[in-house]
Amino acid sequence: MAGIGFELRKILARDSYSSTLRAYVYAGLLSAGPWVLSIISVMLIGIMSIGVVFPELLVRQFLVTTTYLFATSLITTGGLQVFFTRFVSDRLFEKKPHVILPNLLGIMLIATVGAGLLAFVLLWWLFDQPFLYRLLVLTNFVTLCNLWLVIIFLSGMKQYNRILLTMLFGYSLMVVSSFLLRPWGLNGLLFALLLGHATLLFVFLFDILREYRAEKLIAFDFLDRKQVFLSLLLTGVCYNMGIWADKFIFWFNPMTSEQIIGPLRASMLYDLPIFLAYLSIIPGMAVFLVRIETDFAEWYERLFDAVREGQTLQHIAQLKSEMTIAIRQGLQEICKVQGITVVLLFLFAPKLLTWLGISHFYLPLLYIDLIGVSFQMLLMALLNVFFYLDKRAIVLELSALFVLLNIALTLLSQYLGPSFYGYGFTVSLAVCVLLGMTRLNKTLDDLEYDTFMLSR
Amino acid sequence: MTVQQKNAQLITHGGHADVCLLLEGTWPYVRGGVSSWINQIILGLPDVTFSILFIGGQREAYTKRHYEIPTNVVHIEEVFVEDAWHFAPRTEQEASEGSVRDLQNMYRYFHHPQKPDEITGEAVLGSLASGQLTMQDVLRSRASWEAITEGYLNHCSDPSFINYFWTMRTMQSPMVMIAEAAARMPRARLLHAISTGYAGLAGCILKRRWQCKFILSEHGIYTKERKIDLAQASWIAENADEALNSSLDPTSGYIRSMWIRFFERIGLMVYRNANPIIALYDGNRQRQIIDGAAPDRTRVIPNGIDLPRWNPLRESRPQGIAPVVGLIGRVVPIKDVKTFIRAMRTIVTQMPDTEGWIIGPEDEDAEYASECHSLVSSMGLENNVRFLGFQKADEILPRLGVMVLTSISEAQPLVILEAWCAGTPVVSSDVGSCRELIEGGTAEDRDLGQAGEVVAIADPQATANAVLRLLGDPERWQAAQAAGVARANRYYGEALMLERYRKLYSSSMGTL
Repeated sequence: MAGIGFELRKILARDSYSSTLRAYVYAGLLSAGPWVLSIISVMLIGIMSIGVVFPELLVRQFLVTTTYLFATSLITTGGLQVFFTRFVSDRLFEKKPHVILPNLLGIMLIATVGAGLLAFVLLWWLFDQPFLYRLLVLTNFVTLCNLWLVIIFLSGMKQYNRILLTMLFGYSLMVVSSFLLRPWGLNGLLFALLLGHATLLFVFLFDILREYRAEKLIAFDFLDRKQVFLSLLLTGVCYNMGIWADKFIFWFNPMTSEQIIGPLRASMLYDLPIFLAYLSIIPGMAVFLVRIETDFAEWYERLFDAVREGQTLQHIAQLKSEMTIAIRQGLQEICKVQGITVVLLFLFAPKLLTWLGISHFYLPLLYIDLIGVSFQMLLMALLNVFFYLDKRAIVLELSALFVLLNIALTLLSQYLGPSFYGYGFTVSLAVCVLLGMTRLNKTLDDLEYDTFMLSR
Repeated sequence: MTVQQKNAQLITHGGHADVCLLLEGTWPYVRGGVSSWINQIILGLPDVTFSILFIGGQREAYTKRHYEIPTNVVHIEEVFVEDAWHFAPRTEQEASEGSVRDLQNMYRYFHHPQKPDEITGEAVLGSLASGQLTMQDVLRSRASWEAITEGYLNHCSDPSFINYFWTMRTMQSPMVMIAEAAARMPRARLLHAISTGYAGLAGCILKRRWQCKFILSEHGIYTKERKIDLAQASWIAENADEALNSSLDPTSGYIRSMWIRFFERIGLMVYRNANPIIALYDGNRQRQIIDGAAPDRTRVIPNGIDLPRWNPLRESRPQGIAPVVGLIGRVVPIKDVKTFIRAMRTIVTQMPDTEGWIIGPEDEDAEYASECHSLVSSMGLENNVRFLGFQKADEILPRLGVMVLTSISEAQPLVILEAWCAGTPVVSSDVGSCRELIEGGTAEDRDLGQAGEVVAIADPQATANAVLRLLGDPERWQAAQAAGVARANRYYGEALMLERYRKLYSSSMGTL
């Protein structure tokens, strides 16, 4: 979306160290934003509750419930997110901003009803926990599904300070209220989680309502097949399933997991390292967002303006190579920043684990996960570039490959034994990144041919 | 594609005809000299069966047929070149080795600045006729992309690549489309194209397929007419994709010269394939030779009119010289109606009772027509100049005192012959065969006298003076009338023309 690129370019234009830093922090928070912050907050809640909430199993039950909430809500809405993002940017391109708000409300209605029904059926059928627990899980699930749809708009909005303040407020509220609600145990913590996310959801929604004009309350234009790309639904689902496939496999293999609450299982061994590892991608995400939304997007616009305005083929080719350089620099910078982060974490991981009171038994898995999530970062960057270039087929191909490989290789790693745990995830991502690179290479080589010969 | 094909075959007896007529933007949809000539030929040779390949630009421009289809027409196939690139699915296509060469040949023949050799032309025709070169190849293949970009990098001096690219597409895809339509034609024994251009190209392709004789009759000179069209921007806009109208500016040098070159190359290809190459009069025959027609293949067959039908019109003439000056023709720039209106100003000043009639449909170029109306009012001629719209020539001609033709381009206008039969002298601009007609060609012909007067193009003063000389001098007028009647009857009878074509057809087919 254009908004963020514009804002980032404005900040960078001030050309000082503090403004550059500010751009990166902003980009990092926005992109890694809500769900990394959620992980941190939830972990904070968990750590704070240890020794206060008894028995300690309750804390684990809370953490596992939360993890499942994230995983299922992301998979459920993953398709809708990608699908709706494209719908929104197409309408903005057509200069029809007034249709966006009614359609957001439309898709939220569908998500609410759909997610509510799904959660109701699953909770009623698979769980025998108290009613209050089930009710809280259901409301949390519906809230998260809606939140993931609303945050699509964050990068398109202009008042980034306000967004950052909202995030700060929402997550603080979550942590503080969990502190106060601890006496009510698991339900208290789940209520704190709900309070935090619901606050974020409604404040963001309020901001969006203020920013976009609308002529009617609710609309379902996104159900019109001519205005959307259905394959994006599949792409989004595949990608999110890919991210969670290895985790689910570890949770449901009896050898590597234990029952925690109702039908929910978890894998102590596997979960902790990977969630720690995810925290390491924040710097990479920030760099990526700044590069993609400033340099790359700028050359991209110039390139296609040149095509439309009737520039020479030579000039078009030159702009293409500038755009290619921007992509290459972006990927290089991700590699540099992510590389330094990984190396530092490799060095300090033992101390970090000691400090967090976590057994060094987790170290090898943490190492491989750190590499894995860095690849995931690169894959996200590549997918973003492909989305820009409107290569939906390639994104679908990579996402589908990711989920299949992650399932197959994770199963293989379990078969091979504990020293191979984590390799399934990392290797599947590495393969996807390599394939993505070759696809990108060909796409850029053929860009003019594609643009002219295959466009209409 | 199937729906389009179904619509295209409006008469599908699938009958094998004697003669396949190749027509571009004319009969049965458009009224005019060429169309009535075609109608004459078909009706005049009722024992010959015809099949028709009609080539048009926009489908919407050809909705109403102005001629009834005679019973000896056994098949009509229609193809609209504007549909050309709507068919190819958007998938990437690896062209075969052969197609790479075909596409390079296509570029070399039609678009390369250097005049192509005959071998390249034959190769292009071969790949079009065999169906080896598909629409997919031209519109989507990498080989096509490479041929196009190579041409751009080596020769194009217009900076805008997108203009160049769409110009190439607009040129190339109709050729393949026409080849595909040609492949659907039922076999005929003889090919007869009524112009070069796309119709002539279809003739070359079908000649390859059927291995039969290919006759070309040119009324105007197609290539020259296209150059005039190109000078008046609107034609490209009609043929280019709507959205690109603004960017395909035909006045910009290279794009325009590409178009001219394209039509010249098609013309050359047709001249190399057709035999005989027929012109309406010697001036055009010379022009064909300059453009590449072999002199021994060329010949002249003038138009003829139905004398028994037109001669009696003289009897319905009112006594004396009617003070009416008429221009018969569509209200379009090529007829230069404005010069007629300006001439009327001088004529009316001298002879205030004179009326000027503009007789012809105004719907083809509404903008030009409204300019003409404004010119009439600004010259204060509202009471003298009238726009009558389309009228039947046999009703209007006897009512004219003098017929005026101000066209900037004509071939051999039938309306002059018709005017003579109706007893109306003619003042014409010096275009096409008009001087040959009015003053006479051979010595024997000249002895018949002047059937009017020839004046320079776009010269209102000279036109007015010539009209005034005729209207103001009954003796002169009588002499011109007599010369016209005699000349039409001696040289320009329909029976004579039909007989010549009948002979040509039968000799080209073997027997008939």
